[in-house]
Amino acid sequence: MSLTWRQLRALLRKDLRIELRTRETIAAMLLFAVVAMLIFQFAVAQRSAEVTLLAGGFAWATIALTAVLGVGRTWVPEREQRVIDGLLVAPVPRLVFLVARTVVLVVYLTAVELVVMPLAVVFFAPDTGLSDLGLVLVSGLVANVGIALVGAFLASMSVFSRARELLLPVLFLPVIVPNVIAAAGAAYAVLGPAPDVADYRGYCLFLGVYAVTFGLVAYAIYDYVLDD
Amino acid sequence: MRAFGQRTAVAGVDLVLPAGHRVGIVGPNGAGKSTVVRMLATLATPDSGTLKLFGHACPRDANRARGSLGYLAHDPLVYLDLTAWQNLELFADLYGVSRGRDAIAAALDRVGLLARALDPVRTFSRGMAQRLGIARLTLHAPRLLVLDEAYAGLDAAGTALLDGVLEALPADGGVVLVTHEIERAIALTDEVMVLRAGRIVETVSTAGLDTAGFLARYRGIAG
Repeated sequence: MSLTWRQLRALLRKDLRIELRTRETIAAMLLFAVVAMLIFQFAVAQRSAEVTLLAGGFAWATIALTAVLGVGRTWVPEREQRVIDGLLVAPVPRLVFLVARTVVLVVYLTAVELVVMPLAVVFFAPDTGLSDLGLVLVSGLVANVGIALVGAFLASMSVFSRARELLLPVLFLPVIVPNVIAAAGAAYAVLGPAPDVADYRGYCLFLGVYAVTFGLVAYAIYDYVLDD
Repeated sequence: MRAFGQRTAVAGVDLVLPAGHRVGIVGPNGAGKSTVVRMLATLATPDSGTLKLFGHACPRDANRARGSLGYLAHDPLVYLDLTAWQNLELFADLYGVSRGRDAIAAALDRVGLLARALDPVRTFSRGMAQRLGIARLTLHAPRLLVLDEAYAGLDAAGTALLDGVLEALPADGGVVLVTHEIERAIALTDEVMVLRAGRIVETVSTAGLDTAGFLARYRGIAG
């Protein structure tokens, strides 16, 4: 096993072990997501006849806002427990930190998506078949990669900032807007009144290009983000 | 040179550390000691000047030097929500320590924490956590130890433990020790540098040093 792979595996295992022990991040994200979907259901769905049109939008607005919680928790144990110097002094290529953070965020977001999307179907589009739900989940997984990359990158950028809690959402949400719009578009292309496979594919392609583009940008400059 | 905004933290430090050399850095608060030591640990980059560690130019090739560095500050740099074993397992993997399980067990045994290996660090006292920090420090057999007020918070046993780590270093093992305790720096190093306002204002060899005379001079320098 190469050293880089061993380092990546160790960082992933560390984050998941801490989450399993504390259950701080994922529990808060899931609770927030369920409450947000319930609010949409009671505030809008029961008063609108065409709520099926909005199912994807509600789901992705919820996931985007929930992502702020997950991204905000990134690097928190390192900051609060003053471990960050111990990590940065280790011979770990900086990009490995980004990949590890991204994978962990993808895991969190996927867990949220697995709750939110079925809720969206039950609340707003009850006639949806399982295969259509599967398609929405697949496009969501691609969208999660883009969101997680942006979140991991910006969280690293703001890790040494005193106003981190304010700065991070202000930077994060605008950057993921195109990704969220495309993900909602893909969901609409499947759940809407006139399912359109070509539209669905187009949105998925956009989501893929978004993730790859941001991944390349992060690859080029991430070394300078974490180093002093 | 290194500045933070308008404030110059380090104005001119020339330091050559041959293999096996041990140097203590002392000085009053705000003298720039921690900035110097963070640069040596590759955690900060100089604004101007050059920094080479084991022949590798930093920050460009810092990652090649990091594997040979051991860094301990007044915090143990371990996760409170992981067990002692899990912490060392993490760092063994990050440093690519071979035969990790044996190395972890030996490191925990050395610091007297083998019996608490499976307990979360959150349940440890400050001194125990710092002992775990010492185990982390030595896990990958570094060639240069960079210690920034590492004795802070250690009880007598922990202090003896860290002294033992320095004594047990191989002949080519170097040490940079930043401390407020001048006598400790004199006892543990070959050379003591006094830093003031970001500059080295005096360097003395500790061999045959008139400690009382040096301490009197130091008080004059430190104000």
